[in-house]
Amino acid sequence: MTLADLYSIMPIIITAGAALVVLLCGPMLLSASLTAIGVTASAAAGVWAALSTPTSTPAVAGLAFTPLARFLIPLFCFAAAITLLLSHSYNERRGIKGEEFPATVLFALFATCVLPCATNMLILFLALESVSFAFYILVSMDLSRAESGEAGLKYLLLGAVAAAFTAFGFALLFTGSGTLQLSGALARPENRAIISAGWGVILVGMAFKLSLVPGHLWTPDVYQGAPAPVSAYLSTSSKVAAAALLLMLLGLSPPMPELRVPLAALSVLSMVLGNLAALRQQNIKRMLAYSSVAHMGYLALALLSGSRDGYAAVLLYGAVYTAMNLAAFGAISSLSVEEERELITDYAGLGFTAPLRGGVLALAMISLAGIPPAAGFIGKFFIFYSAIKGGAITLAIIGILSAAASAHFYLKVVAQLYMHRGEAPAPRPVSLAEGLALCLASLMILVIGVYPGPLLGAIEAALH
Amino acid sequence: MSVPLSHVLIVASLMFAMGLGCVVAWRANVIMMLIGIEIMLNAVMLTFVGGSAHWGIADGQLFALMLMALTSAEVSLALAMVVYLHRRKQTVNTDNFDSMKG
Repeated sequence: MTLADLYSIMPIIITAGAALVVLLCGPMLLSASLTAIGVTASAAAGVWAALSTPTSTPAVAGLAFTPLARFLIPLFCFAAAITLLLSHSYNERRGIKGEEFPATVLFALFATCVLPCATNMLILFLALESVSFAFYILVSMDLSRAESGEAGLKYLLLGAVAAAFTAFGFALLFTGSGTLQLSGALARPENRAIISAGWGVILVGMAFKLSLVPGHLWTPDVYQGAPAPVSAYLSTSSKVAAAALLLMLLGLSPPMPELRVPLAALSVLSMVLGNLAALRQQNIKRMLAYSSVAHMGYLALALLSGSRDGYAAVLLYGAVYTAMNLAAFGAISSLSVEEERELITDYAGLGFTAPLRGGVLALAMISLAGIPPAAGFIGKFFIFYSAIKGGAITLAIIGILSAAASAHFYLKVVAQLYMHRGEAPAPRPVSLAEGLALCLASLMILVIGVYPGPLLGAIEAALH
Repeated sequence: MSVPLSHVLIVASLMFAMGLGCVVAWRANVIMMLIGIEIMLNAVMLTFVGGSAHWGIADGQLFALMLMALTSAEVSLALAMVVYLHRRKQTVNTDNFDSMKG
């Protein structure tokens, strides 16, 4: 191993080191300085990854700083930094103490940074599971709410079943191809039955992780039970990581023909049922959970198209979705008083009493609904464009119709913010860290929405 | 190898299905669900070891060893959570963990 190898996996080393430093020095330092260490480390890792040149030769066994990693690591670091900024005052209000919280966020970031660098299935699987482990802990971190622990247990049990499915899929791929390299997942003439069975089982596991119908049942409970900053992080990084895993296994080639029907079924069911279930939700976090089911259905549609355009649309939507959900859950977290505002009606009139946070929440909702100039429009446009170009016209039409119907429940929140007067308790003044996080997330929504060129260029480079 | 690969795969698939059946049928009890998940993961390890023997390489055995470490981490986390929730609710019956609906 040379110095150049060390430099190329420096983002991983930075995040791992920062997690250990936070955990070890936690008792001696104030919680504000722990958050500062975490934010600095994530920003440093993200900037380092964005500025270094990718290679395809492994730096250490099983890890290479690939072009995909160069695109995804900054995205994961952005999400982690925003989560840490949001969680500081949220944790103070809710009485979540200790260094475990920032340390676990950094461990999750470490695992998400390892995932796109993996060059074999072992590292890929271990990284995916480490992400999930960190999230099991983060979800159940709020000891003062009964829902939090309950959500953690539900997530863990279903996540463990999903992990068993994914591992069985990897086992079948290995048995069929005789190699643990990622190329083992590609279709080949010998042992085709075993490999396609492996892909089918992996798809079941990934349907749980991506919360595609029918593996979505945990999503609303976990989003509702988890602390709001954790929901923000969970709904962005873990979903993007799972989508990245599928992209890496596919290796830029179209999915096997046997997989087209299951993928299409998962996509249609998620788009339709996710949006229909979100229509009747009164609780804002459950509404966002079902909306995330629908959004992952759009993502599956882009995967199905199997073209380079489709995979570029997956990465673009990953970035767009990260920005939108960080803004939405960030505003929810920052607007919480002693308790979180659970019902959509609790947000009545907050557009006037808390203009910044109300505005960010409204922007996030407009973007989730896919209304230009927000980023959600660009993301949805490229997904449906690639689907129609790939020949999945019926699916694209179903998707567009369900996306149009979804505008109803997103705009309901905007209407509550600006067209109703509520008696809800006034929010506390926004803290500096929260304001910074919300501004960064909404800036990302607007920049991608108005000027997507640089991001599209980065995605083009990531897929080479 | 004296045992054909297809036999290993059939046994492993049956074990996997039985583990899944245990998780689905004993949904009421967290401990039984954890046992079912354990059985599913053991089926995975069996597949890896069988595949390793078939191809004559050690990669699959390495994966199986890593899975053991991963499983123990998972179970310790799950049991910690079970103990914590048991203290709160005095039960390991999942039907009583129903504070969220919708």
